[in-house]
Amino acid sequence: MTSEAKTHAIDIASMQRGDSNLNLADEQITLQVQDLRLSYGDKEALHGINMDIPKNRVTAFIGPSGCGKSTLLRCFNRMNDLVDNCSISGQLLLDGDNIYDRTVNVADLRRRVGMVFQKPNPFPKSIYENVAYGLRIQGINKKRVIDETVEWALRSAALWDEVKDRLHESALGMSGGQQQRLVIARTVAVKPEVLLLDEPASALDPISTLKIEELIHELKNDFTIVIVTHNMQQAARVSDYTAFMYMGDLIEFGATDALFTKPEKKQTEDYITGRYG
Amino acid sequence: MRYSVNEWTKSGSPWVWLNAGAVAICVIMVVGLLGLIAVRGLAHFWPADVMQATYTQGEQSRRILGEMVQDEMVPAEQLRGAGIQVPEGVEALRRDLLKVGNRDFLPADFVWAMDNMITERSHPEMVMVAERLEWGNFYGYLREIREAGETLARHDGYAKSEEYLNVWAEFQTRLERVLEIRDQILEIEKDKIGSINYEIERLRLQERSLELEQSTDAQAYADIEARRAELNADYEVLQQDLIDLYSQINRDSFTAEIADGREVEIRLSKVVRAFLPNNMGTGDKLMHYGAKLWEFLSDEPREANTEGGIFPAIFGTVMMVILMSVLVTPFGVIAAVYLREYAKQGFVTRLIRIAVNNLAGVPSIVYGVFGLGFFVYFLGGTIDDLFFPEAKPSPTFGTGGLMWASITLALLTVPVVIVATEEGLARIPRSVREGSLALGATKFETLIKVVLPMASPAMMTGVILAIARAAGEVAPLMLVGVVKLAPSLPLDGNYPFLHLDQKFMHLGFHIYDVGFQSPNVEAARPLVYATAFLLVVVIALLNFSAIAIRNHLREKYKALEM
Repeated sequence: MTSEAKTHAIDIASMQRGDSNLNLADEQITLQVQDLRLSYGDKEALHGINMDIPKNRVTAFIGPSGCGKSTLLRCFNRMNDLVDNCSISGQLLLDGDNIYDRTVNVADLRRRVGMVFQKPNPFPKSIYENVAYGLRIQGINKKRVIDETVEWALRSAALWDEVKDRLHESALGMSGGQQQRLVIARTVAVKPEVLLLDEPASALDPISTLKIEELIHELKNDFTIVIVTHNMQQAARVSDYTAFMYMGDLIEFGATDALFTKPEKKQTEDYITGRYG
Repeated sequence: MRYSVNEWTKSGSPWVWLNAGAVAICVIMVVGLLGLIAVRGLAHFWPADVMQATYTQGEQSRRILGEMVQDEMVPAEQLRGAGIQVPEGVEALRRDLLKVGNRDFLPADFVWAMDNMITERSHPEMVMVAERLEWGNFYGYLREIREAGETLARHDGYAKSEEYLNVWAEFQTRLERVLEIRDQILEIEKDKIGSINYEIERLRLQERSLELEQSTDAQAYADIEARRAELNADYEVLQQDLIDLYSQINRDSFTAEIADGREVEIRLSKVVRAFLPNNMGTGDKLMHYGAKLWEFLSDEPREANTEGGIFPAIFGTVMMVILMSVLVTPFGVIAAVYLREYAKQGFVTRLIRIAVNNLAGVPSIVYGVFGLGFFVYFLGGTIDDLFFPEAKPSPTFGTGGLMWASITLALLTVPVVIVATEEGLARIPRSVREGSLALGATKFETLIKVVLPMASPAMMTGVILAIARAAGEVAPLMLVGVVKLAPSLPLDGNYPFLHLDQKFMHLGFHIYDVGFQSPNVEAARPLVYATAFLLVVVIALLNFSAIAIRNHLREKYKALEM
């Protein structure tokens, strides 16, 4: 797909919603969502989502519980494939290729689109092995390569100084915040293009949350980041673009500053001022 | 009053009491069971004092010599009916069971005697007890020591004296010599001649298979013949050694006076152990007890399993359980992984689960019948036809053996492993699987690298349950390979070392055999308890080692508690 066509698609999508806060003309687009519908059995959870995720930016999804923001996020690396009787229509393009195409290798896709979950889920292995896991899956077994990547990943996740002396101890002995940063390091180690963060700080204390937010800021340079959060202040702090979702619809998508200061839609305004949700 | 009972019920304390009572009863029953078999079984090895007494029955009176085994009260009426005079007014009389031994000289080695007719009881220090290779224990007074028929020493008294002790010491020295020679004989017969026989049998089979192939390779036949001649020559040498040793071991004999006053001669080569129980201090008795216990654990049985040790049975039980675990774990785990992770959940998987659960409830003898019909006759017969035609008509795998017994028990216990593994897999948090998948691992990689290691404690739980069930089974084993007496262990120094086709001994079957198939029930009874206790100990040890492995794994993968 040419870049001209891309721009065209953006225009239609934002025009349909009437987003004037959104100007992606200067951005490179990594992910394009085109009329994405998802149902669990008979119940439709996403009613035709259209949006573009810009490269090397942080895009936040906000909205009340059950609005479909996590579901949408999990579409990006096809995590919904694991759910029984989940059906998807529409297109989701990563660098112009539909990830729901029959020929796509899901494992390869997930290497390109990494994901960090709500609760820290380190493997019951050593810190080192946790970070090396993705590399070993790819068949990389050279000790030197793994050593270097592990150090780089742990440094990227601002964890190296804390754990460099106990790399071979169990990851389960770390604090929750450290575990979450370890999971980020583990995801970063396979060098994905996109980093999906599903409420990464919701199970953490304020200090750890702050560290994660700083980390997101750092990682933005290397990765396209999509973050789902319950916490509007967090969205405002970390993201460049914000999407507000409600009941399976994308209500408003725009630059974060604009969306929080002068939302276009009544529903968005109600939500961010705390009138519901 | 009514009000307070109501309150008391509501407070819940009656239920607490009820629960505590139930637990207490269970504990008492288990401890009681273990205590009974432990005490009865372990007491057997203690050297009991030998009593000498006079037994008066009507006009006749005779001397008796033996160990008190047990006593019981018999109603007077029953005794009067049996023609024994009981004074008026006596309700019941005590009757004692005495072990008098000397089965070859006396009508019975256990006798019941009325307690009130036993008089002049004493425990003379010089009464000797000799354990023998046949005819059971001997009780009597040592009289003479003979070498090749010539009397060397003699003593005629009953009391302990220096002279008598010297004769006894001489007896012990000669007994030690005999025991040494017997060890040599055993080594030659079991190890050396055993290996030669084994190799000759293999040569015969080789030759037979050459014949079956209608081979005309004269060189091969000649090689076999040459090797056989070599082995036969070795055998001749060993045979000569054996003849020498046998003539040496049969050199000495002794005479002794038994209870009825006769003096009898016994070859020293028939004696395993001799001691003066009434002359032993507690320390001596403890040493003797330890030696007997060790013999029980480490020796082979003698005298139709009623004497000696049960080592082959321990070995067979442990071997079979280990083989069973090795077989059942992969099958159970693979089946559980498929059922839980890959199979589409629905009617069919539910049906399979129900079938698996019900399989666990099928009576074990049914598995035995299946094992005999399918594994032994069908599979074993086919294997014999295909791979061991040279051994026919005698079966190799077409008869019960260690392998078929292990497989049958693995089949019996596979449902337990499947159920436990499935539960373990279900408990692995979804988040950990997703974490692995999100890193680009396939489902299979996730299973192998993350899920299965984390589920390994649950698998071990399944194996523990399987061991607990399999180690105690007897019924199916009787059909698929357990025997009363196996000539050799299934693991030895002859290639291929582990003989899966061999029949083996098993503690559970041993209990049944000794207790209920033995010609001498009284003599065997303590051994039944001792073997039962040992079976419990062996199963407990197997379980404890499995539990230790599981706890280690749990510690390693305790993320489950997150």
